[in-house]
Formats: sequence, C-alpha cells, structure tokens
Amino acid sequence: MLRFSEEVMLLLLNDSGGKFVDVPAPSLDCALAGAVLMDLAMENRIDTDPERLFVIDPAPLDDDLLDPTLARIVDSAETHDAAHWIRETTLQADQIHDRSLARLVERGILRQEDDRFMWVFHTRRYPVIDNRTVREVKLRLMGVLFSDEIPDARDILLISLSDVCGIFGSLLSTAELDSAAERIAQVRKLDLMGREVAKAVREIEISLAAAVAMPMH
Amino acid sequence: MDVTTERQEGVLTAQVGGRIDGSNVAEFEEAIRTAIEESDRAVLIDCENLGYISSAGLRAVLMTAKTLSSRNAKFALCSMSDPIREVFQISGFDKIVAIHASRSEALASFDS
Repeated sequence: MLRFSEEVMLLLLNDSGGKFVDVPAPSLDCALAGAVLMDLAMENRIDTDPERLFVIDPAPLDDDLLDPTLARIVDSAETHDAAHWIRETTLQADQIHDRSLARLVERGILRQEDDRFMWVFHTRRYPVIDNRTVREVKLRLMGVLFSDEIPDARDILLISLSDVCGIFGSLLSTAELDSAAERIAQVRKLDLMGREVAKAVREIEISLAAAVAMPMH
Repeated sequence: MDVTTERQEGVLTAQVGGRIDGSNVAEFEEAIRTAIEESDRAVLIDCENLGYISSAGLRAVLMTAKTLSSRNAKFALCSMSDPIREVFQISGFDKIVAIHASRSEALASFDS
C-alpha cells in the first residue's frame, strides 16, 4: 500500500510530461508532514485529541518514511499537540518529498528522467510508467467527492491533504470544484489531523502575509 | 473501556464506558463487530458512560457507521456528556451520524 506522502506526490503529477503541478511550498511541506503523521496514526503508532498527540506503540515500522518522525515523537521529553508535530515535521519535508518520489520509482510507478535545459540548467521529470496506480488514487478521491457515502478513513485523510495543498484546483474544473466544495469542507472536518494540517497552513500564510506587510526601515 | 450490549426487536444497543483511544480501539471495534447480527435493523451506541474518545476512537465509530450504511441498517449515538458531544460536533460527525440526547429518543427515531 502506498503511503499518504506517495499518494500526494502522485496527485500532484501533471499527466502529460512528468512534471508537478505548482503548489505553494509551505502548503506542500505541511501536507507532507501531515501525511507522515497520518500514516503513523493509521499504523496505530500515535493517536491525537484536540490537546495532544501521544504515542500508542513506540515500535519502529521498518519504514524510512515514517520511522524518523516516530523516533522524534517517542524521544520527546514533553507531550505536544498535533500542530506542534506538524511544524516540527515540516523541517524534514524535503527528505519526505525526495524519499516519496524515490519509492514511487522503486515501485515501478514513476520513472526518473534527468535532463539539461539550455545545456546548463538541470531538470528532472517523473513520467508515469504505471498509470493504473495514479488513476486509482484519483478515482478514489472523485468517488468520495461526488457521492454521499460515508468515506473510508484513508480517503478522509487524503482529501484533507489534497485540499491543503490545492490539488483539487488542478484535478477538477471550476464547475466541479464549486459543486464539490461543500463535500470537501464536510470530509476534511472528519479527522483531527486533517484539521490541524489545514490550521498549520493557515498560520504560515498569516505569518507570511504579516512579514510582507511589515514596513521596511 | 467496556462494552455491554442488549438487543430488542432487531435493535442492538451497545453501552460504551470509559475511554476509547488507540490503545484499545481494536477491542472496541471487535466488540461492536461481533455483537452485530445480520438481522439487526439498527445499532445504537449509548455514550452515557463514555469519558474520553480520541481520533482513533472517532475513526472506529465512523467505520461502524459506514459498515452499517452499506447494509442499509440504521445507526445512531446517544446520551453524550457535553465534552464528548463537543468532540463529535467539532469533527462534523453530527452531520453524518444521528446523535440523540437520550436512549429513548434514539430508539424512537429508529421506528420513525
């Protein structure tokens, strides 16, 4: 089974050329951090309530995407809330991003292609080899968005992550996005971790806006 | 966490007490799953003695609702304390799952 961070990367992939849809970097960082914490929750290693995130089982999963974050939570002398661990884990967002892509290549879903633009600038693309997996992830999302059925726990979390980094803007037409907006809002409320990831993104946006608005001396 | 169940006219009522979190959520799921019978037309979880529920517990409740929905059986929760009700409301569960103030109100809703 794919990890949430791998699914997010697949959803961000532009079908045509193996390039990724442009999303704000802080949003993607929070989504990837949230993805790791959500997988740890689904593996019953951690649990959350509105006040704290706590360890249920400290045993490593033998998974290099999840174990470093689990170890940091286990080793922490204090208990913190989910928002704290999202902020902490965003510091590892680059590693989570790169490792997720490397795993998709190892799984035979993507292919890594390195190239040079104008003979100088290094560019990298990830064309899809196994389109079935990419399609399956997208169809799962659409199935939840355009039905009234109670969503599966994994689908709730994936919708929260997708919404946080603005993936739906590239997957849906404006009309589809309008008709799905209420459903997205309903589903993303259903899991605390999803709500906390969205909150972390909003806080970052507010602090960035405040920094831009600050008068220069 | 403890679960006691009773059945009346095809309605299974599960009284849940204590705390539900990741450390015992599998026991909670198992207790509910094994108590539900094919002939049950509705399932009610009575939360009067529920003192705490974490995200893992909420997920388990939602999955129970999903399973019952796919079988066309009714599902409801009742008798929550104010803090527990708040957790369910913040999560938007009240938009997906029927939540009643009392057991009698919940049981009456299954017949309407």
